[in-house]
Amino acid sequence: MSSSAMKKKVLLMGKSGSGKTSMRSIIFANYIARDTRRLGATSKTKQNLFKSNSFLKDVFANCNLKKNLHFLLTLVDVEHSHVRFLGNLVLNLWDCGGQDTFMENYFTSQRDNIFRNVEVLIYVFDVESRELEKDMHYYQSCLEAILQNSPDAKVFCLVHKMDLVQEDQRDLIFKEREEDLKRLSRPLACTCFRTSIWDETLYKAWSSIVYQLIPNVQQLETNLRNFAQIIEADEVLLFERATFLVISHYQCKEQRDAHRFEKISNIIKQFKLSCSKLAASFQSMEVRNSNFAAFIDVFTSNTYVMVIMSDPSIPSAATLINIRNARKHFEKLERVDGPKHSLHMRMR
Amino acid sequence: MEEDCRPLLSSEPTGESYSHRGSTGSLDIRTKRPFYVEPRNIVSDDLQERISAEAAILNSRVHYYSRLTGSSDTVLSPPNHVIPTAEEIYIYSPLGTAFKVPDSVQASKNPSIVTIFAIWNTMMGTSILSIPWGIKQAGFTMGIIILIFTGLLMLYCCYIVIKSPKAIKVEDTSNWEFPDVCRFYFGKFGQWSSLFFSMVSLVGAMVVYWVLMSNFLYNTGQFMYNHANNVNTSDSEFGTNGSERVICPYPKTNPGRNDTTSTLCQITIGNDTSGSSFEHYWSKTNTIPLYLIILLLPLLCFRSASFFARFTFFGTISVVYLIVLVTIKAAHLGFHLEFHWLDPSQFYVPEFRLLFPQLTGVLTLAFFIHNCIITLMKSNKKQENNVRDLSLAYLLVGGTYMYVGVLIFAAFPSPPLSKDCIEPNFLDNFSSSDVLVFVARVCLLFQMITVYPLLGYLVRVQIMGQLFGNHYPSFLHILVLNIAIVGAGVLMAMFYPNIGSIIRFSGAICGLALVFLLPALVHMISLKQQGKLTWLSIVFHSFLILLGVANLLAQFFM
Repeated sequence: MSSSAMKKKVLLMGKSGSGKTSMRSIIFANYIARDTRRLGATSKTKQNLFKSNSFLKDVFANCNLKKNLHFLLTLVDVEHSHVRFLGNLVLNLWDCGGQDTFMENYFTSQRDNIFRNVEVLIYVFDVESRELEKDMHYYQSCLEAILQNSPDAKVFCLVHKMDLVQEDQRDLIFKEREEDLKRLSRPLACTCFRTSIWDETLYKAWSSIVYQLIPNVQQLETNLRNFAQIIEADEVLLFERATFLVISHYQCKEQRDAHRFEKISNIIKQFKLSCSKLAASFQSMEVRNSNFAAFIDVFTSNTYVMVIMSDPSIPSAATLINIRNARKHFEKLERVDGPKHSLHMRMR
Repeated sequence: MEEDCRPLLSSEPTGESYSHRGSTGSLDIRTKRPFYVEPRNIVSDDLQERISAEAAILNSRVHYYSRLTGSSDTVLSPPNHVIPTAEEIYIYSPLGTAFKVPDSVQASKNPSIVTIFAIWNTMMGTSILSIPWGIKQAGFTMGIIILIFTGLLMLYCCYIVIKSPKAIKVEDTSNWEFPDVCRFYFGKFGQWSSLFFSMVSLVGAMVVYWVLMSNFLYNTGQFMYNHANNVNTSDSEFGTNGSERVICPYPKTNPGRNDTTSTLCQITIGNDTSGSSFEHYWSKTNTIPLYLIILLLPLLCFRSASFFARFTFFGTISVVYLIVLVTIKAAHLGFHLEFHWLDPSQFYVPEFRLLFPQLTGVLTLAFFIHNCIITLMKSNKKQENNVRDLSLAYLLVGGTYMYVGVLIFAAFPSPPLSKDCIEPNFLDNFSSSDVLVFVARVCLLFQMITVYPLLGYLVRVQIMGQLFGNHYPSFLHILVLNIAIVGAGVLMAMFYPNIGSIIRFSGAICGLALVFLLPALVHMISLKQQGKLTWLSIVFHSFLILLGVANLLAQFFM
């Protein structure tokens, strides 16, 4: 724990059953089944363990721990996923919302550890939850902890499972929730998204979140546009490395398919899953036919690039050289921020 | 508390709310559900999408999510409400063609007789009340000829409308209506123009309904007042004497008429207007249109019209009752026909009149079903009989109109009254104390009160859907739209309650676009694409378009 205390964290929190694990597995392309097999006891099992073992219960009941805050946390986390993204952010997944008061005592002391060094807090709400008051209560507790331990953290709220709401009611319900959340979050500013794994909203929400975490992203975008125009590409996409979320793109003419970013991300993530079965890692790809040529390659330490050329007469080597030279230029851009690896956005 | 005891993720999806949808039996179906759609052909630059964008992206997601879990794990399996409905699922063959799964549990198909009846029921509108007036405007013989001719013409136009989606091979047109066909051929312009002209016919019908509802409500109230107060109205109205009383509400001064008769009419009309306070508060043009606002504006603002759809059987009952009524009246009054071919006489109208475009205008709306015929024909069990069934339906409708029109015209007692007295709403020619007609008015009033919100709903869905993409953007939008429509109706009812004119103008306008112009153009273009366009076709269909234009122009000049 001590080494990871230096690393910045992304906390993905929410009530159990709100969809965090599915969300994480979809965004980061982790096998779900494999994780649960690998995991030891989950929170539920631990809770059962504590409940059934009266000796442990007595021990904790007699513990002389501070209990001045109603801070309810149950320990899940064996999902210390080894997912790193955006350089050195570690994703931590926590369930919020146990009810056992004796757990409260035990974990209040862990609270500071959990909430220290947090870069981003992503809180997931289940739109179908019947206990709105409780959800808001847990959320507020997390916010208090954030204010105490990592006051510079960015806060995002996802209202999840929106596909279970009728289509004509979705905007209304989301607006209501957003107002409540923004009000509750003061003085912190929270950004709210409505998401569902069955439509494009999840992808877009996470793309926005990641976009806000990339350092110098606007400079990257300007340079991307120049790059695309110089090499005469039809479209150039910039992906985040771990999640293959499209951070920014440049297109020189209108494209038909509005969902192409998510489709490409899904295809590449599936390919990465296949590669990992062979203990291989994906680095680059070229797809070519008589109508177009597409190149996907590593770009900077945080990003991948995809270049699409509709003039197939341009030889691959030319485009690859261009990408390699651009890479050097873009890396310089990132390195300008220095070894501090500060991930706060700087407006230049 | 129980939720927390269950493991976070397991192979049985008990904790996820997704699994609560559908029964446990569906669990097996979900793992076996073959929702796979082959990616579209990326080799050729085919602009036509074979699958919708939503289906393509959902397929991509399902492919990807299925890689993330074990095959027996249904955690990330698509829930029922996310999968497109059976009508939207296609099966692709590796050769690139696609066909729909024939749904075995499809909406029940109807035998021909039911389809014919449904078409008859939909076409029979309130224009039946104006047919005798239309025949009078055109002249008796000419009226009959025009009715047959217009019926055949509109039948042909209907036939090319139902043929039009079948000619489109590149897209799946099984859910299309005629506006979608127009959008396919003419782009946004076609879609908007077919929408606009559909609106004209609907809003025209709603205005006519308001005028008629005011009329019927007035007469109903008048009947009950007269009955309660035992007022005898036979002196105040100009009409026949005897058991079957036919009146002439607005006797026109005629060159052949006596001056005494005309002054008598003017005096009697004068007596009507200086009425009691009841007549002051219960006036056909001054107050009743406003009373109706209180009843109907709230009904229009309902979110869903399914409640009113239950009452559509009233329309059939009303029409059947009208036919029976007409038969009884004709039997009692006897026939009064004299044939004066070209010159007007005191009591009769010429057989051929220059005012015949008014009849064609009315008939264009009376035979209008072109914006929904494709949907009605879809539920026909034997699709190969569509043309035959459509023709039979038109024959039935034409026969009904002919029957009512001819009988009323022929039975109109001409020696005391002139045929010119036939009103655009033939029920106006009967006194408000006539019991049989009173029942007809009450039936029609009730039917119209239940159909009016349905029409309002159709207008709202189409306008709001096209303008805002949402059928119910906000209460304010709906209220503004409803006030506009109701306002138009009230203004017409107060200042120009001549339903004959309203029907013929709206009929000619929407007929020009949706009956003559667009179907003919679509037919010619599809023939050209198939390479079967002959000069005869071009001439004939251009002639159809000209007829439509002439129909509209003639309404203004005649």
